[in-house]
Amino acid sequence: MKLGVFVSDFELTNDTLDRVGPDGVILVANGVYHAALKTGGNASPLLGKYSSLYALSDDLETRGIDPSTVDSKVKVVDYSGLVDVIFNDFEKIAWL
Amino acid sequence: MGDVNCAFVVQQPQYKGETSRLAITHAISYQTVEILLDDGDTVTPTLNFIGEGVLGLTRNQTAMEKYGITSTENHLMNCCLVDLEVNVCKEDLEKYGIDPATLPDAEEMGADVSINVVPMADIKAKIDAARHVLIF
Amino acid sequence: MGKLTIGCFPGLVGNMSYDFALKLAEAAKDKGHDVDVWLSGNATASIAAGQKHLKDYSTGEQHLTRLMEKGVNFCTCEACSVARGVKKDNSVEGVIWSAMHWYLGSIHGADRVLQIGGE
Repeated sequence: MKLGVFVSDFELTNDTLDRVGPDGVILVANGVYHAALKTGGNASPLLGKYSSLYALSDDLETRGIDPSTVDSKVKVVDYSGLVDVIFNDFEKIAWL
Repeated sequence: MGDVNCAFVVQQPQYKGETSRLAITHAISYQTVEILLDDGDTVTPTLNFIGEGVLGLTRNQTAMEKYGITSTENHLMNCCLVDLEVNVCKEDLEKYGIDPATLPDAEEMGADVSINVVPMADIKAKIDAARHVLIF
Repeated sequence: MGKLTIGCFPGLVGNMSYDFALKLAEAAKDKGHDVDVWLSGNATASIAAGQKHLKDYSTGEQHLTRLMEKGVNFCTCEACSVARGVKKDNSVEGVIWSAMHWYLGSIHGADRVLQIGGE
């Protein structure tokens, strides 16, 4: 069953995400920085690990990030779109 | 609908926050969920400790004496008494130098199950097989 | 349409994980899904009645009431609530009071479950 994991932090202090091994990642809260920032000139390693990547537009815009500027690998969705992602793209979901 | 299997995954240590303890108590409540369901329907959790979640699980805890709260040790013994499957990551115990023999056991109290120390691959298999995954 | 069960454990004021849980619940309900929200731990303080809705403070009462009017089911952990001084006769009307097995019962019938941890 396809598992989607919500990532709500930027600095990932443990390797739970890797160990759980999701099929896709949904970036929310401070997790949206993975879609928008480059650290030391490098994009977040998350972007290279998962083929299904989403970021919540409300949380990007709350942080002053223009959704059109996020990494092209990430699909930006609003809350309504997020509901569709949850029910259509994954069979189970979890929060980190 | 039958049985719904859930993987509870605890990745935070015990005590500083209550979330990691609530994972245990919520899992234990599978014993009484049947009163709310149709005949034959059940929820079966597995309770899995990984990463820093393996911290705070050992015997000889004095949480009640020091802070007036039921210790995680007691909660884990209750897990065994209600036949809840508890899995603790072998690699993480080794990483933190925790001897599996220091984990609680409720055999003397009549428990039929013990805490399982298993490879992460086994816990991953539980996560993959579960209908729902709850990370604490 | 399906059913979404959310386990909401984060504290009330100033914790945007709590806000996220409610906004997601509303969005799912607006799209026609059934939604249950289980409040446990610090989130149970959000059912206290008489909350003052100050600017810059996210509060539970207004949001809970609006979402319940839309048909979202909220259930609070009775033990967690009373431990925090929230009394049944002084709580937001319409919230179910129960114990942890309510959450598991909701999970049994859910198509998707999102457990959002506390602190």
